[in-house]
Amino acid sequence: MLKIDNLHATVDGKAILKGISLTLNPGEIHAIMGPNGSGKSTLAYVLAGRPGYEVTGGSVTFTPPRHPGEGRGPEPQTEESLSGLGPGLRRGDDGKEIDLLSLEPHERAALGMFLGFQYPVEIPGVSNVQFLRTALNAQRRARGEAELSAGEFLRIAREQAAALGMDFEMMKRAVNVGFSGGEKKRNEMVQMGIIDPRLAILDETDSGLDIDALRIVGAGINRIMRKPERAVLLITHYQRLLELVEPDFVHVLAGGRIVRSGGAELAVELEREGYGEMAA
Amino acid sequence: MTTLTLPSNREEGWRWSDLSALPGFAESAPTGRTPDALPWLECGEDGPRLLFVDGRLDEGRSRLGSISVGPVATVSSHPLGSLAGKSGWSLGLGRDHTPAGLVQIIHVSTGAADHLAAEIALDADAQASIVESFIGEGWSNRLAGITLGKGARLMLSRRILGDTGFVSLTDEAEIGEGASLTITTLAAGGRDTRLDGALTLSGEGAYAEAGGALLAHGRQRHDANLILRHAAPNGVSRQIWRSVADDQAACSVAARVEVARHAQKTDGEQSLKGLLLARTATINAKPELEIFADDVKCAHGATVGALDKNALFYLESRGISPEEAEALLTRVFVADALDRIGEAAVRDAFYADAEGWFA
Repeated sequence: MLKIDNLHATVDGKAILKGISLTLNPGEIHAIMGPNGSGKSTLAYVLAGRPGYEVTGGSVTFTPPRHPGEGRGPEPQTEESLSGLGPGLRRGDDGKEIDLLSLEPHERAALGMFLGFQYPVEIPGVSNVQFLRTALNAQRRARGEAELSAGEFLRIAREQAAALGMDFEMMKRAVNVGFSGGEKKRNEMVQMGIIDPRLAILDETDSGLDIDALRIVGAGINRIMRKPERAVLLITHYQRLLELVEPDFVHVLAGGRIVRSGGAELAVELEREGYGEMAA
Repeated sequence: MTTLTLPSNREEGWRWSDLSALPGFAESAPTGRTPDALPWLECGEDGPRLLFVDGRLDEGRSRLGSISVGPVATVSSHPLGSLAGKSGWSLGLGRDHTPAGLVQIIHVSTGAADHLAAEIALDADAQASIVESFIGEGWSNRLAGITLGKGARLMLSRRILGDTGFVSLTDEAEIGEGASLTITTLAAGGRDTRLDGALTLSGEGAYAEAGGALLAHGRQRHDANLILRHAAPNGVSRQIWRSVADDQAACSVAARVEVARHAQKTDGEQSLKGLLLARTATINAKPELEIFADDVKCAHGATVGALDKNALFYLESRGISPEEAEALLTRVFVADALDRIGEAAVRDAFYADAEGWFA
């Protein structure tokens, strides 16, 4: 679904990613671990298209399965419905590779990519409900799907907030304003549930969560993303989340490169022995 | 025709104005073409409706109600306000009176200059809400003299629409004991503006508010100059302005609070914020305090900046296009100013006009 090939990137002229290659197939959950400053967040931002993160080499291709699954999706795109859609969006159905790096951040989102932020942004004056309805409908429009009515949207939003144990009253408040660190992370997962992506890149979604919240968030990731047609790139420092969301692969990122890959047992080993030698 | 004498940019109070188009309008002939569709608001009870085309009442399309049209007593020494002359519309309300419904006034300019004065006098505990809409393409020059008796309440909401031309508004108000005046102005068209207000809180515990949203693109100029004078104790004043400038446009707000020696316990607040949508645009903010009393609370803040890049990326990462994300954040920015409008129907209409500008 996602193929990263020899990816190089710089931030403020400084090389951070120095040749990353990684393939995510549908149904897989990949964990990326690594010491501070190894390039984990940079990788997440580069994949999402954040301005200021410049790709200097390599490629990233995305082959999203048809969006979305489970009955609330549209008919498959036909030649007729494809006309007039933005770049990349016309290729969602035909199984061809899309050059992810050529797309704007919002186009990547419409294709089914979701970035869970390490530091979710506060937006005073815009309610969560308004923000997410605007976002979801913008994605649907870009994919040539009908927009959701206020009622349909609220039903989904209530469902997802409840599933993640978030009081719906909080959804009516301004985006992340006055939310604790844990509430912001939980809100990222509510957003993921509402947007229903195909590929989630979760940047330290577990940091700042207490044990109960971690359990709820872990269950949320499994419920929303653990499906045959979806994939997750889980960036984390701690093995604890990986006990809840069991990864199929674990990669260690150090100095802008993947220095080791393995199965879930690698996370256990790292927890025991640290990055020490690998990162050296 | 008398010669038009205009202030020069060398005068401090006029240095941000561009009045160069006014002599041209003064010499032009109006086309007299009125659009068929006029921006009347549909809201609850039908109130008085006045349509002025080039400063003249269109009787057929107006419904005066408690308003009269003719000579008015308002006088001003303001360079533009004094041009408005001695005739126009007046609203005088006796004690406890309230006109049925919202008072709506539409001013259409068809390409020339027109001048009109207004006199609003509310006796004790009277209340009125007035919406003025300015459309068209010439120069509309207005003067309003406002007197509020004890406990009277006036809400004056103005929206300046239209594609080209100039609108100058001069407001002079005396606000009595416990009376309240709220003036909210939205400039959301393509016309240049010059807005002047001199509001005096002459009675104890009076409330005055002058604010609004100035949206400018192209080479537009908006220029607001407010003086709020606290001449009695326990007064409250608010000046909340939000300016948005794109392209080579400029928005300027000079807001002054004056507190007289005996106007103790004054509570004043100024919030002048500017949003630059392009590096080539200009925002001027000049908050001023002149305080002679010693027991006074006056908060003031002025900021100018661009949209928050982190917020933009957050919105875009969720699928919102850069254009839509920018519009959403800009809308939120001006909401502080437009939310001051009390009636939902008026507020919604002003929001819709602002949306039209963002689109």
